Amino acid sequence: MALVKGRLPTADGAADAVPRGLTTLLTDLAAPEPGVRRKAARELESYPESAMVLCDRLQVETSPSVRSMLFITLIQTQSSAVAVRLAEFLRSDDAPLRNAAIEALQEMPDAVTPRLQALLVDEDSDVRISAVNILAALRHAQASEWLVGVIRVDPHVNVCAAAVDGLAEIGGPEAVRDLRELRVRFAGDAYMEFAIDTAISRIGVE
Amino acid sequence: MSQVIPLAGVAKKRVLVVDDSATMRLYYRTVLEAAGFAVEEAANGVEGYEKVLAKPFNLLIVDVNMPKMDGYSMLRLVRRDASVQAVPAVTITTQGHPWDVVKAFEAGANFYLLKPVTPEELIEVVRLIGGGAP
Amino acid sequence: MAVVLAKDMGGSISDDEFAKFCEFFYRKTGIQYGIGKKYYVDRRIIERMAETNSESFRDYFTMMRFQESGQELQFLVNAMTVNETYFFREDYQFDALVTGILPDLVKSKRRGDPIRIWSIPCSSGEEPYSIAINILERWDLSDSWNIEIHASDIDSKILAAAQAGRFSERSVGRVSPQLLQRYFKPQVAGQYQICDALRGSIDFSLVNVVDPKHTKRFRNMDVIFCRNLLIYFDDIGRRETVEMFYDCLAPGGYICLGHSESMSRMSSTFLPRKFKDTIVYQKPVAGE
Repeated sequence: MALVKGRLPTADGAADAVPRGLTTLLTDLAAPEPGVRRKAARELESYPESAMVLCDRLQVETSPSVRSMLFITLIQTQSSAVAVRLAEFLRSDDAPLRNAAIEALQEMPDAVTPRLQALLVDEDSDVRISAVNILAALRHAQASEWLVGVIRVDPHVNVCAAAVDGLAEIGGPEAVRDLRELRVRFAGDAYMEFAIDTAISRIGVE
Repeated sequence: MSQVIPLAGVAKKRVLVVDDSATMRLYYRTVLEAAGFAVEEAANGVEGYEKVLAKPFNLLIVDVNMPKMDGYSMLRLVRRDASVQAVPAVTITTQGHPWDVVKAFEAGANFYLLKPVTPEELIEVVRLIGGGAP
Repeated sequence: MAVVLAKDMGGSISDDEFAKFCEFFYRKTGIQYGIGKKYYVDRRIIERMAETNSESFRDYFTMMRFQESGQELQFLVNAMTVNETYFFREDYQFDALVTGILPDLVKSKRRGDPIRIWSIPCSSGEEPYSIAINILERWDLSDSWNIEIHASDIDSKILAAAQAGRFSERSVGRVSPQLLQRYFKPQVAGQYQICDALRGSIDFSLVNVVDPKHTKRFRNMDVIFCRNLLIYFDDIGRRETVEMFYDCLAPGGYICLGHSESMSRMSSTFLPRKFKDTIVYQKPVAGE
């Protein structure tokens, strides 16, 4: 038969009993082989003090599988220092890095929340859009309120559009009045009118 | 929004709309279906690429900022794959920086638009880039 | 109280509520429901509303959306998806295996290299035995290669059943009479037992996917069948498991998910590939 009963190696407890040293892992983090870097990124989870080095590595890492492991390790820290660093990537013109940072921050709700207020009023409208996208995904009791805050004051159409999107999912009846006022502000903009009408019907108010 | 009735027996042109915003996808769908196009959706670049592999499309409308995989990365995958690489694609971005034009064309876009897109712009571009009326 | 309300509602939610639910569900799972499925979706939401004592759809949706544990979403996914196992279930993936994946894999293998396939979870064994039969029957090169089929599950009782290899009429419903004769021995009425040669050629093991001690034994896998498991995990569990599978696969190896599952909600490190009518996922070849 072509089928053979494969025998797998037994779990080798001894080899992994002692975690590899920090220096070794940091060296491996810059190794030429992506597999070696990925393994180091995973094992550096045992060294929370390496978090900033992992953030530095993200800026130069080209392998998607290593990047994804770096983010996994960083998300696990749930650290606000890491959240501040990752938030800086929201300004990057590297689209994959920028979007991965948004996703990572969405998974660090407590760590990112203190930073969000500042990001929501950042002078760069794209950073504000990212902040709104992070906010809308959080399980935050005040998320809806904050989104209403955005549509009240933000001048930029795409920032408001992102907030309207969020309100379509998590907005309550208390958001409707501000949504109607926004519709007046952007009267004539076909997308905004559509989006606001959709959000209001999703909220379930006539 | 203009109404175009497709000729009986002529298959509708098929557009794939790739955007993480449900509202934006619904908007594109509403505008394009009214104009006689057949529309399918994907919510990120991975799903977008899967759908491109699964069925033929006349045009891709691809948002840039999406989770899991951005629009440029998705487009690069499409252009790398001999079975689907010729499909026309329009990228849509919020950013109005000059380098976005470069990025769009480097990734393999035929055209790019800034959002929010008006219904007229959308139909015009879809007809132009997707190869004629539906 | 909630039961009375559910009856009062006439067992349905509004079109807007349906749209809101579908948008959320699609965002989280990649599963899309059109208006044609409204009845199907309604019933299950109303049931969950009753189970959770929710007084309105809004209350239910808000509770589910904001729940830390994500448990209600998991219940909902369970309620929405049907999971039964039988021989040749989702057979288009076995088509892809023998006509696309295996031919592609052997292009970069040397003579004598094994081909390693992992079915996880294997449940009561229908999947690994289906893989085996498909390979033997439909891959013209099966005699030229040593093919290892590994089958794992977290549940020792079900694993024992898989090893015993006894199946009902229902389970073998899609197996042709010739294949039944070739690979099964009829037992008492309505029961079929997989032949000894096949039973003996599959390596069964007890594995909990979230336990690295179990999973690190699996290395250099060429194909992983992980169908209808990940959809029941939360976001973190899914991500961790997908990354683990990545590490278990040899470069260029493949992973097959269930028909309503997609990597698009889990990870972008795999490359979607189309074979025949199905999408499978490939770990990049070395150097990426």
